[in-house]
Amino acid sequence: MDRVVILLSVLCLGVSSQPITDSQYLFSIAVSRVQNLHLLAQRLFSNFESTLQTDDQHQLNKIFLQDFCNSDYIISPIDKHETQRSSVLKLLSISYRLVESWEFSSRSLTGGSALRNQISPRLSELKTGIQMLITANQDGAEMFPDSTALQLAPYGNFYQSLGDDELLRRNYELLACFKKDMHKVETYLTVAKCRFSPEMNCTL
Amino acid sequence: MKEVMEEAVLLFLLLVIYTPDAQGTRYSPPGKPELTRCRSPEKETFTCWWKPGSDGGLPTTHALYYRKENSDTIYECSDYHTAGENSCFFNKNDTSIWVNYNITVVASNALGSTFSDPVDIDVVYIVKPNPPEKVTVTVMELKEWPFLRVSWEPPHKADTRSGWITLIYELRVKLEGDDEWEMHLAGQQKLFNIFSLRSGGTYHVQVRCKPDHGFWSEWSSTSHIEIPDYLHREKSMWILIAVFSAFIFLILTWSLHMSSHSLKHCILPPVPGPKIKGFDKQLLKNGKSEDLLRVLVVSDFPPTTPSNYEDMLVEYLEVYVPQEQEVLLEESKDLHDSCLKFEGSTSDNDSGRVSCDSHTLLMDKCGEAKEEGRQTDQEDSTTEAEAQGQQKDWDQDTLMYANGDILSPEKSSGRVKTWPSVFSPLPQYTLSLPDQTSSLEMAKQHCYSDSLFCPGSTSSYLTHLGNNDNETLGPGSWEICLSNRQPYSHIPQMQTCQQVRSHSDVNISTIARKQEPAGLPLPFFRPTAYVEVQRFDEEDMVVLQSIVSDHGFHEGFPQMLQQEDYSKVKGVDSNNMLLLQTEAMKEDGDGCRCQDQVTNGVTESSCTLSISTTPHKPTAHIHTVVSTQDEMAQPASGYVDTATIFTLPTY
Repeated sequence: MDRVVILLSVLCLGVSSQPITDSQYLFSIAVSRVQNLHLLAQRLFSNFESTLQTDDQHQLNKIFLQDFCNSDYIISPIDKHETQRSSVLKLLSISYRLVESWEFSSRSLTGGSALRNQISPRLSELKTGIQMLITANQDGAEMFPDSTALQLAPYGNFYQSLGDDELLRRNYELLACFKKDMHKVETYLTVAKCRFSPEMNCTL
Repeated sequence: MKEVMEEAVLLFLLLVIYTPDAQGTRYSPPGKPELTRCRSPEKETFTCWWKPGSDGGLPTTHALYYRKENSDTIYECSDYHTAGENSCFFNKNDTSIWVNYNITVVASNALGSTFSDPVDIDVVYIVKPNPPEKVTVTVMELKEWPFLRVSWEPPHKADTRSGWITLIYELRVKLEGDDEWEMHLAGQQKLFNIFSLRSGGTYHVQVRCKPDHGFWSEWSSTSHIEIPDYLHREKSMWILIAVFSAFIFLILTWSLHMSSHSLKHCILPPVPGPKIKGFDKQLLKNGKSEDLLRVLVVSDFPPTTPSNYEDMLVEYLEVYVPQEQEVLLEESKDLHDSCLKFEGSTSDNDSGRVSCDSHTLLMDKCGEAKEEGRQTDQEDSTTEAEAQGQQKDWDQDTLMYANGDILSPEKSSGRVKTWPSVFSPLPQYTLSLPDQTSSLEMAKQHCYSDSLFCPGSTSSYLTHLGNNDNETLGPGSWEICLSNRQPYSHIPQMQTCQQVRSHSDVNISTIARKQEPAGLPLPFFRPTAYVEVQRFDEEDMVVLQSIVSDHGFHEGFPQMLQQEDYSKVKGVDSNNMLLLQTEAMKEDGDGCRCQDQVTNGVTESSCTLSISTTPHKPTAHIHTVVSTQDEMAQPASGYVDTATIFTLPTY
């Protein structure tokens, strides 16, 4: 959060001067943040799974395959080729949407309250960072379609009025989807960063 | 027969039954296969392996079918060979990330097919990269401290360049022959340095990698490296240093040993012992600082009058007999001189200072001296012996001067002994007094001032007496006292005479006072007069003379002055009191009676008391004396002083 504020101020001061450098810095920060979020999601999920009984685990695995994540409406590249084919801006926008979709839903995640309470603010910060990156990279012309924004609504309704059994399933799904989406954002941001400045540590 | 037949039939039947069964079991549907694992080396493709079940005796084929999430389309694995047997390889086109795969393996033969349990995987979470490649280990020379530099390349398939996959590396090192590896986490870097190597050792190095979310790869092939010997160069240097330091150490030790003495004196100088005359180490050990100081003060130390004797700021008076004024004068002068030494406290109640010449002063001084003597007596018993010894010496000296009949050695000694006793309640001094009536040879009474300076032990005084001024004192005193009626021998030496003198003075003075109210001229009624034990009469009487100055301090005094013998030892009382009387006052009976208390010196002042007509108890003497003094009125300030003096030592 503080970093973002500082970055914003720096950016405002020297927008014209060395935007690339600022973007690189922003990218690095965004990537590290999303990595952290992904680790959190993984921890939450593993904790949840450990609490489950073996039977439930198998059952949930099966069930999960049939259900879907709420963020599936967001079309995102699902393989490397596709990802590399996408532009940086597209990747950033997709990441932005994914983060945004979880910004409020993450509060309903089960798990340790300490962990859970950290997720939502971090998501907000990440969203802001990505926004900044988009603004920095935007050529001005391309804007992601607004139609995708409409699909946020069903998310909340879908999980309403569920029974206890459903609750368990719902939690499992939420955690799994969250973890997956965080990994997606991480990958996209990493690729975007490397594409943005290949001379950086992407060659490592 | 029948039995055999039956058995044969049974056997045949069994054979018939089982053989078809045996043959039948060989052909069965295949067993259930099992997917063991699925792995993706670069997050672009993946492979799944399964373990087939029993084949049922028939040729069994396996097929892998999979279904992607949110889709009902079932796909079959397109590549069964790339990854080996019982495997299915998903190429890039078939691989989707972040998509759940539901994979199932089917084993089928002529009789049937068996499905395995489905497995759900997400490619992202099954990544296990290949080991790093091109691991190179080199020895880098760093100022004769070599280190290892390990470098490697990521597996060629992993696309870390585009950021599609992020790998972290880990390497491990061990010496040849060791069992345990030393692990090092290298992070995302492809270079690593290892320090602290053993000279001449051979190291084994291995590297592996892992994606940020995935499995560790296998260890790379071992790289061997040998460290060159570099320690031998160090060794020689260290040996040299060790030898050199040992050499220096030896030199230092030797020099220290040689100069140990001087060093010792330098560092730990010997503590000088006390070298104060009259300093008693024993006293110091006893811890009685007061006593010690008292000793110091007593012995020819600049006098520091005790607070008690503040009132004894009387100057020395010279009292002499008019007849022998000349002599007296001289002696008084001497006395005076000696007295002067004790200038100091005045015990005057009138707060004034009586002139030196006043009789009262002298009386006071005597009284003070007496008190001091008493006090010292009481205080210090150790010095008693010394005093006695000195007294003896003194006696002998006196004998020299004294007339033959003056004192027998014993007497003298007795006198000496008794002398202090007479004048003071000092128990120490009063020893064999009763035995020696003649031992009354009271020391010349001197200025009180003398006594003033015996705050401590009288014995100290006595010792001092004996020691320092033995000669002078003895002879001097005796000269004065014992010589045939010579004018008063005042105690020539203040020091020695101090207490004794004082005592005598006191006594005498008191005696004198006592007599006065009685109307009798007290032979020693010079409060501050020097009273000396002049000699012993043949009758074993101590002749006391007081050196009185011209200054008359009392009406009675002039009378006394005229008397030669101011005190005589009349005898020893039953109470072991030495009775002194003045010759002149013989008719009076009791002159000064100095009662010696042989044993108890508490009330030495009884001397005076005895003189007084009123009988008094020894202890009461003091009081009586005081009373008498009071009666005496004021002219003799010494009375007051003496009173105080006497009262003081009332223990």
